[in-house]
Parts: sequence; C-alpha cells; structure tokens
Amino acid sequence: MNTLMNIDPWSFLDDLLDTSSRAFRTVRARAAGRFPPVNVLLDDTAIIIDLELPGKTAKDVDLSLEPQAVVVSDRPAETKDAETGKAANTTPAWSRRLELPFRVDADKANAKFTNGILRIELPKADAPSVRKIAIAG
Amino acid sequence: MNTEEKFTVPAATLTERPEDYELKAMLPGIGKEDAELHMEGKTLTLKTHAKYQNPAGFKAVATEFEHVNYAMSVDLPEMADPATLSAKLENGVLTVIVKKRPETQAKKIDIL
Repeated sequence: MNTLMNIDPWSFLDDLLDTSSRAFRTVRARAAGRFPPVNVLLDDTAIIIDLELPGKTAKDVDLSLEPQAVVVSDRPAETKDAETGKAANTTPAWSRRLELPFRVDADKANAKFTNGILRIELPKADAPSVRKIAIAG
Repeated sequence: MNTEEKFTVPAATLTERPEDYELKAMLPGIGKEDAELHMEGKTLTLKTHAKYQNPAGFKAVATEFEHVNYAMSVDLPEMADPATLSAKLENGVLTVIVKKRPETQAKKIDIL
C-alpha cells in the first residue's frame, strides 16, 4: 500500500485543480514523507478526508482546523520525565497539513474513527455575502 | 467499481511468546461483521467482504489508499494448538492468539 506513495498520487490533481491555486499544494509537497495515506472526496457542499490509521483511536490523533486548512497529527503518548516530572516526547511522529479548496464551517465539521479509518467531514462555509461600503463625503 | 473480488494480502506479523503465538494483521476499514476466519488443519484462512462505497455525489480528488478486501492464509506453527485460537478485530487490526500445546512447552526441571 505504501507503494502508492512513491508514484506521486497527486500528479493527476494538476488536471483537476488549477495548479496555481493553493489547494493541496502542501499535501503534494509532503506526500513523499511517511504519513498515513489520505483520500480526499469533494462535492459542491463539503469535503471528506479519510485517513488510513489502523489500530488508532480518537485519543491517538490530534486534529485542528484553520479556516481553509486542516492539520492532522499523531498525538505522542504522554510520558513523564522521571527526574523533572515534565511531559517528555511531545513531538508528533507525523503531522500533515491539508489545504482546502474552499473555506469550511468549523462549527459543522465532524470527525469519526471507524475500523481504523478516520473520516473528517468539513462542510463548505456559506459564501461571504457581498457588503456594500458607503463612500463618505 | 466492484471491489468484492479484489483481495489484498494484509500487512501482518506473527510473534512467538513463551506460551502462545500472536498474529496481528492490519485490516483498515474492515469491521467484525465483514471478516471471516476459517481453521482447517493447521491452516488459518482470513477473508473479508466489506462493501465500501464513496458517499453519493462525492468525487475522489486524491486517492492514496483503496478500500480493498483482504485475504490470507497462514500455516500455524507445529507447536500451536488450534483449539485454543481466539480472535479479535478492533480499530481495523485483527489479533489472533493461539496457545502452544502444553506438551511442547519448555519445562523447568528442579535439580534435586
């Protein structure tokens, strides 16, 4: 399955997406590293991101949402330094930032693990309404 | 796409421990109800029958992994006792534990 990573799974994105857009550029750049494989599904109203993480559960993964990007990273096991009592090993083993093709509604986002696959569903944010600006003077 | 007849051999490890063997296989996307285990003689066979479909209306824009079904068969070690086999599928990982037959286990002999 890892061989998929070597054949540049992103090459066909160039045809689907405007290559000058920011969408997925980061993902493509990072695809060469050792990250969990990702599937991205799109329709007009939402984006679905699936990550293959067998054996992992909600407590093993950190998820944070930016207006137009999502960051998924491994949550290191909490180990305490025996001498200082401070948390040690806080560097995630992997972290992946996916830029999204549109702004998403953070309040309606949801993520769920099913049989070792993490599915993140991000509904598209309502288009910002056009605002008229009164010209003074 | 019909994925039902497409099988992939899962990544798996077989570990020997003092009293038993543990087989772990990565089956992401597979639930308990989708997996089938058979024991025939010394051969353990796994087959899965998940029917994954992309949510209606969605188009795949990046596919780094596929939702496949898995199949493999493993010959258990000579010392394993198939009658003691237990299996568990959790978070997409199958764990099979089979004990060693008692008569094959190393015995500590007291020196008189």
